[in-house]
Amino acid sequence: MLKNYFKIAFRNLIKNKVYSFINISGLAVGMAATIMIGLWVTDELNFNNHFKDKGSIAQVFQSQTMNANVNTSPAVPRPLEFALRQDHTDNFKHIVMSSWEQPRYLKFGETNIYITGNAMQEGATAMLDLDIISGVKDGLKEKNSIMLSESAAKSLFGNETALGKIVKVNNEDDLIVSSVYKDIPTNNSFSDMEYIIPWKHYVTTQPWLELSKDAWGNNSFQLFVQINENTTMDVVTSKISDVKKNASSETAQFNPQLFLLPMKDWYLRSEFENGVQSGGRIENVWLFGIIGLFILLLACINFVNLSTARSEKRATEVGIRKSIGSQRSQLIFQFLSESFLIVFLSFIVALGLVLLFLNGFNNLASKAIVFPWENLQFWLISLAFVIITAFLAGSYPAIYLSSFNPVAVLKGTFKSGRYSSLPRKILVVAQFTVSVALIIGTLVVMNQIQFSKDRPVGYDKEGLIQIPVMSNEFIGKKDVMRNQFIASGGALEMTGTSGPMTNVWSNRSGYTWDGKPADFQEDLAYTSVSYEFVETLGLKVTAGRGFSREFASDSNAVLLNETAVKYMGLIDPIGKFIRDSDTEDPSPPLKIVGVVEDMIIQSPYSPVKQAMYVFDSEDNTAFYNVRLNPEKSTSENLALIEGVFKKNFPNTPFDYQFVDEEYGAKFESEERVASLARVFTVLAIFISCLGLFGLASFVAEQRTKEIGVRKVLGASISQLWLLLSKDFITLVVIALLIASPLAYYIMGQWLQKFSYRTTVSWDVFAIACFGALIITLIIVSFQAIKAATSNPVKALRTE
Amino acid sequence: MIQIKDLEKFYKTEEVQTIALNKLSFDVKEGEFVAIMGPSGCGKSTLLNILGLLDDPDGGSFMFNGTEVAGYNERKRSELRKHNIGFVFQSFNLIDELTVFENVELPLIYTGVKPAERKKQVEAVLEKMQIMHRRNHFPQQLSGGQQQRVAVARAVVNKPKLILADEPTGNLDSTNGNEVMDLLIDLNEAGTTIIMVTHSEHDAKYSHRIIRMLDGQKVTENILA
Repeated sequence: MLKNYFKIAFRNLIKNKVYSFINISGLAVGMAATIMIGLWVTDELNFNNHFKDKGSIAQVFQSQTMNANVNTSPAVPRPLEFALRQDHTDNFKHIVMSSWEQPRYLKFGETNIYITGNAMQEGATAMLDLDIISGVKDGLKEKNSIMLSESAAKSLFGNETALGKIVKVNNEDDLIVSSVYKDIPTNNSFSDMEYIIPWKHYVTTQPWLELSKDAWGNNSFQLFVQINENTTMDVVTSKISDVKKNASSETAQFNPQLFLLPMKDWYLRSEFENGVQSGGRIENVWLFGIIGLFILLLACINFVNLSTARSEKRATEVGIRKSIGSQRSQLIFQFLSESFLIVFLSFIVALGLVLLFLNGFNNLASKAIVFPWENLQFWLISLAFVIITAFLAGSYPAIYLSSFNPVAVLKGTFKSGRYSSLPRKILVVAQFTVSVALIIGTLVVMNQIQFSKDRPVGYDKEGLIQIPVMSNEFIGKKDVMRNQFIASGGALEMTGTSGPMTNVWSNRSGYTWDGKPADFQEDLAYTSVSYEFVETLGLKVTAGRGFSREFASDSNAVLLNETAVKYMGLIDPIGKFIRDSDTEDPSPPLKIVGVVEDMIIQSPYSPVKQAMYVFDSEDNTAFYNVRLNPEKSTSENLALIEGVFKKNFPNTPFDYQFVDEEYGAKFESEERVASLARVFTVLAIFISCLGLFGLASFVAEQRTKEIGVRKVLGASISQLWLLLSKDFITLVVIALLIASPLAYYIMGQWLQKFSYRTTVSWDVFAIACFGALIITLIIVSFQAIKAATSNPVKALRTE
Repeated sequence: MIQIKDLEKFYKTEEVQTIALNKLSFDVKEGEFVAIMGPSGCGKSTLLNILGLLDDPDGGSFMFNGTEVAGYNERKRSELRKHNIGFVFQSFNLIDELTVFENVELPLIYTGVKPAERKKQVEAVLEKMQIMHRRNHFPQQLSGGQQQRVAVARAVVNKPKLILADEPTGNLDSTNGNEVMDLLIDLNEAGTTIIMVTHSEHDAKYSHRIIRMLDGQKVTENILA
């Protein structure tokens, strides 16, 4: 029986090539898009799956309340570790303090590499279950040791054994390689961690680290834990939430609440709004999951529409089969098996498309997805996917076709009812509603990105590079380097800063100033900067002046941005002082010498944070910011600067970043969403148009005789074109009317998450509507004009 | 074999109700060949559809082999149909996508006959109908007469007790028409009951009995043999 069904299905496919092509190509494109989205979603959901203890590993976060705003951050103070070890150790299998991921220079012989890694406590290797290739299991036990990833060891030692070799780190410390671990695969936290140095080594390298031991207010560290098997994240959270609050009266005013963020949430649900977990990347997973489903539905709609539209052609067969004893259920099964065959063929084509475009998709989505040939689960899900799609596409046609009355069909009196095309019309409207809504959505996302890109950044980011100088060998060399850079002709100016110009590395509180409200809890972005800060960055000074070598008192001076002036409630701020609120051992007061225009340092979508730029009298320089010479080419400038750098630091590799590129990276996530949305919108439009083309050609074919008669009676081509086109245009106009308010509402909601946002403007709707109508007209007119210009005699003879 | 009594069938449209069968009663014995005649719209085809269990009567009784089948549901009707009734249509009604062999094989598939047995039976009936040489052709590659022979083959392959023929020669020239009638006679002589709707006096003469209808009622009944 099944063989018979497939035979008929196959012969129908061959016989009706155009319809088969529309059905299979539409379904294949839809399925390919859904498979790719499925692979992407799986990849996102599998983040951190490398860690076998994913379920019990967590990071300690804290929420602090400042001026009624709750800020949540993974940065915690160092004494927290001691408190947890002392009072709560029975909850944890591992407690691991860690630095932030930091790049360091590693040198062996003549080989010099610049790689990122962390300083971590001993439990790290067991907690992360690092796969040790050589050396001891816990390579962080000895203070002067270093653990290297396999690829780091390879770049440093080539094929030689790494174990026991002495590596010079940041040109300061000699550390012995204690073990080599297998690289942590991408799509996991710590995948960039190419080295680990022992925590006990790290905390003795700089004086401030030593001081941090008792400083509950110094939130400069990360704390990872693995909880015991007999407890849960929530239970542990409830036990530790007030540890900091109870331990330090100084920070209690901010009501610090500690909690565990499970490893499974690090990647997908790491955003917090007012202290409450509010999502993160999981929103994109949902977004694209839904888009994938919609695209598949669009393709299924084509199948439904074309199958039911052509029902009269299948009616006789239904009548015959019924008359010789077929039950309705058998006919339903037959039509379902036909849709299964078509869906299966489409799936094969879809797999081909996925293989063909997977690389491009990976580039677009910044992924490294590999086609899961050997994954049984993938094939089982694919089978289910084919069956579900076959049901989705085939159910309605099967029920509809099998319902025909054999008597009417066999007597030749069968005609589709007056309203039989209504479901098709509704489905076409649904298709175009989705397509137009996607067009509008994509345009709004693109507009928002452009709007934020056009936002003035407050400084001149073009022709500016930053050179990381975080090791001690650079201390005291700033002025020498500046002079030499300028003298080389490769630079116009240079300034040193304690953080990059594209991020805030430090936030401070604990200040007081004249007129500060009593309960005000300040939170200021803090960067220490050197002379020529204003000149190098091209900042606009709106009051006062920048730092100057002519004023010796500038060693205790500060610049504020405009937001900080407003935030602190300062009127006429120049000459006023910001004082340390610590009364026992206060730092010298800082004199406000200038106010600069706001610079966007953090998110281009958020308001600029209140910031203070304090003159760096202790040389805490982390970056040299160098303004390149505009009279020379970039490569010439870089060669000159590198020459100077190499002359002064021959053992340190020259590393630099373009500030405008670093700034551009802030748009990466949204741009990725936009480019994926663009691709899927194009696919949705393609599938919808394919369906429209099929229906238009069906209608033209069905009305061949009518067109012939009308032509004989004198109808012009334009009248016939209008006759055939107007129904479809009406459907698309209805879709536009539904899609526009829907997209307006959804995109309005989406924009709410950006403080700095564009509006959903009328031109977006105009473009989407105009585009949809033009496409419809082209597709429908093609068929209409073809029918209208055909020979009427031929048309009438078709009877 | 068949007893119908006061059989009624109405067709309703938005404006009017048409009476297709008006309290029609007659019997057909096993092995009989009955022709039903009458002008267009007299209810012949409606009657045939009801007899073939393709359609439901609106009133009256329909006994098939001693069982009342008028109220049967779709499932029971199709069960009864596929084991007992074969159809021959004026327009042949072959499935274009299937070959001659596959068309004839279809009823056997529905009755669950095993493939090897199916092959045997189909080939036997194709031999009998003298179209074995066309077994792999598609309907559109055959002449009208050949197509009707395939249709007859399909109607009889299941060895039904009853064959319902709706103007079986209506689309054929006289030579092909006569051949089809000879086939029906052969089947009848072999014991199959045949009820045939026809406009053709010539064809009707092949039968044992002619029932003439008008406006859904029986007007005369002539016994020929």
